[in-house]
Amino acid sequence: MSTQRHLDPHCQAILQEYKDNLPQFRKIETRVRNDIKRTLDDAGLLVAAIESRVKGYDSLAGKLELKGNKYNSLADLTDIIGLRVITFYIDDVDKVASAVERLFTIDWENSVDKRKIHEIDSFGYLSLHYICSVPDFPYRFEIQMRTLLQHAWANMDHDTGYKSGVEIPKRYMRNMSRLAGMLELVDDEFSKIRIELTDYRRRVQALVRSGNLDEVPIDGDTFRSYLELNPFSQLNKRIASMNQAEIQDVPLMPYLAVFKGIGLKTLGDIARIIKEYSEGAYQIACYQIGLTDLDIISSSIGPQDLCIAYILKNGGGKAGIKNMFDLLNGDNESNEMIAEMLLEQSKDLPFMYSRN
Amino acid sequence: MEVKINTQDNVTTAQLTGRLDTPASQEVSGDFDNLMQYAAGTVILDCTELEYISSSGLRLFLSLRKAAASKGGKVIVKAINKDIRSVFMMTGFLNLFEIQD
Repeated sequence: MSTQRHLDPHCQAILQEYKDNLPQFRKIETRVRNDIKRTLDDAGLLVAAIESRVKGYDSLAGKLELKGNKYNSLADLTDIIGLRVITFYIDDVDKVASAVERLFTIDWENSVDKRKIHEIDSFGYLSLHYICSVPDFPYRFEIQMRTLLQHAWANMDHDTGYKSGVEIPKRYMRNMSRLAGMLELVDDEFSKIRIELTDYRRRVQALVRSGNLDEVPIDGDTFRSYLELNPFSQLNKRIASMNQAEIQDVPLMPYLAVFKGIGLKTLGDIARIIKEYSEGAYQIACYQIGLTDLDIISSSIGPQDLCIAYILKNGGGKAGIKNMFDLLNGDNESNEMIAEMLLEQSKDLPFMYSRN
Repeated sequence: MEVKINTQDNVTTAQLTGRLDTPASQEVSGDFDNLMQYAAGTVILDCTELEYISSSGLRLFLSLRKAAASKGGKVIVKAINKDIRSVFMMTGFLNLFEIQD
């Protein structure tokens, strides 16, 4: 419900102009938000949120009541349309800013990088504000860009009822400054971790490509890079050729836990298992599907049978096999039945008796 | 081979009865096509009365799983017998499905 306000004719004219243009404001709000979203998506830049709103009638009337004489016309108000892009990382604020610069015309005179205008004795953890425009629309709009932590700060700061430290009692100032400093530090640390992780992934990918697998420890990133080399493809094709079977690609990441569970430490260890146990894995597959008409297998058949061959050959027995299927399928009694069956089958397989 | 479909809330249960061999897979492929429309939710393939599954049957299960994965749903394979479990294991599909006893 609208609040009764005492506005002079000048302010009432501005309000009327706002009402007349409201559908257009909403249209531009949607267009700008979609443009930003599409550009960030195309750049592969993941953000926490893109928010937008058109200023409400009451909010504008309240603003005009307080300082209406400051504005000659509606075009002087730059926040009728407001958008906010909230990023996960501090470096992404600049990336978003550069996307916004490319998309819209920036009114540099009125845009503020509040991150750079900190007084040494002020408190706060502020964001980047651009005043923008598009060619076919006479009104400007505001885009705020900030990290999640800057966003958290802005909301908490707002809740204290103080703005930019102007009126804050000195005894609280120190604690607020400490908190702002801590958030800034956390944002910086998150960024550093991301940079280090990206660097680690690049180094690991280079090692995997160069074949120095013994130097690469097994973890989620390294195993994923290794899978890109299709290390089980040859074995899968050999198994499939038995029944001219079709191979269905399935995710192999669950085998990370299995390889670690059987004690492998590096990608070199996996490569050795492929080399030394492929024959055993093939014999297991032959025994199981060679005399059936099953003509579809999954791409996990290779790693599965390799692990079975490795466990059985190294004395892991029924418990070792059950543990493997527990890691893959969750702990259940049926895994014990499968383990028993595999143990029994293995007694007929030559690889169990070879010196290897 | 018989497929009885029952939907309640966001969960669809298909009770499979008989042997899902190649001719039967063709026979019930329409029922599996029907199940696709529920793939955004949870689909339970109740195999309590399912005696056997062939490659063609596996393909029906896989198509349904693929549809569920693309729509954000899931397929639960319930109460498979020892032989069918072995088929899932031997073909490497055991860990692809959520299997409930």
